[in-house]
Amino acid sequence: MAHTYEVFLGCAIPNRFNNYEASMRQVAKGLGIELLDFDGASCCGTVVLKSIDENSWLAMSGRNIALAESRGHDIVTPCNGCFGSLKDTDHVLHDNDTHRNALNEALKPLGLEYTGKANVRHFVEVLYDLKDEIKKKIVKPLNGLKIAFHPGCHLIRPSNVADFDDPELPQKVDELLELTGAKSVPWGMKLSCCGSPLLIASEDVATKIIKEKMESAKEGGANCLVTNCPACHTQFDVQVLGLKDDNGESLELPALFVTQVLGIAMGLDPEELGFELNRVSLDPIAEILSI
Amino acid sequence: MTETWGQFKSFDEKKFEALDPEFTKKVSELLGGQDLAACFQCAKCSAGCPVSDKVNIQIHEVMRMLLFGLPEVLETDMIWLCTTCYTCQERCPQGIDITDILFGLKNMAFKKGIAPQGYIAARQSFYDMGRLYEPTDWEREDLELEDVPELNVDDTKKILDKTGLMKLEEVE
Repeated sequence: MAHTYEVFLGCAIPNRFNNYEASMRQVAKGLGIELLDFDGASCCGTVVLKSIDENSWLAMSGRNIALAESRGHDIVTPCNGCFGSLKDTDHVLHDNDTHRNALNEALKPLGLEYTGKANVRHFVEVLYDLKDEIKKKIVKPLNGLKIAFHPGCHLIRPSNVADFDDPELPQKVDELLELTGAKSVPWGMKLSCCGSPLLIASEDVATKIIKEKMESAKEGGANCLVTNCPACHTQFDVQVLGLKDDNGESLELPALFVTQVLGIAMGLDPEELGFELNRVSLDPIAEILSI
Repeated sequence: MTETWGQFKSFDEKKFEALDPEFTKKVSELLGGQDLAACFQCAKCSAGCPVSDKVNIQIHEVMRMLLFGLPEVLETDMIWLCTTCYTCQERCPQGIDITDILFGLKNMAFKKGIAPQGYIAARQSFYDMGRLYEPTDWEREDLELEDVPELNVDDTKKILDKTGLMKLEEVE
């Protein structure tokens, strides 16, 4: 079975979560997923550009999709923001002749055309296709790891665009995580936004949201948080540093990427999975992970 | 309530000069605006909204203001404190693309110069670099990651010139 994609890294991962890219590449290698460099990729567009000007967002995002299409490849991205933006663009362009024609007019001088042939996928979707393979490769069970999994918004909503999992009861990534022997614990605020899109408008409100999320994850009995998005991870592994609840207790919880959890359970080298770059201390779960 | 964003803080003693049907029409023509008039104020959108308890004007109130034709809606804090989580849109029993409408309202507000400073800086980065952030090379070297594939910024500048990204502001 061939699994070949152009890998769309986006801006946030190379900027501050190179451990996510490293662990994704290691897991991909272990599973025979071929990741090709996405030459000429720009920013995905993001909700930021969509907020400023939808025409510019469609142009920026649509150019990326047309680039992959010109080389006959599908796109895979480990970022919810990029996934959401590219999928949303595809969705708008599919139904809207005016926008599609405007994009193709803008792309003409670049020798590109968008026709919608390139699929956009999230890396966890590709992993889910391979869950039987992953199960066979688990060599280091993570018994005792109690995960508060945070799917993030744009992986699952709006569901007619994301088209991946149940928007009110998503379970696919939890299933993958539990293949390792870890437990995905239920927690009250699992599906609510991490607040990271507000860092650009109001850090104050973004901080209120991450406090609520962390309190909820702790109430759920988790000993770590797992994400599949660099924007969410910014809240859980950077903004959370030093935050305390009303009783003065630290709100930090070890924060891991889904690919780090799978990678360590597949017996891959912790150094190559980039654990050195996780900011919140991993000491409370170091024994379980054997790192 | 937050004081960090938005001029429009409360409906108390607020008097509206005119109800502008043209404004409602313009909003219904936005991406996702087609079902705007189907809103019957059940407020399920606000019930699931992660910032309902952190804004002065909630999302169902924004929807009402749109149907009443009140352009003052662009000055409410809900516009830029929407996290774009799509919970309201996912759950709306009338199938209204609420989050998508909010994106259109943000576009309208930006044109009028009503936008947080961070967005103005981000626009410059999109234009100058074709991205929001630069790679952190020492981390990539430590992890033996290849360089991020190169982008010819002239390509993205060409298409952003065409869409007029740097000249969005309305001239009075």
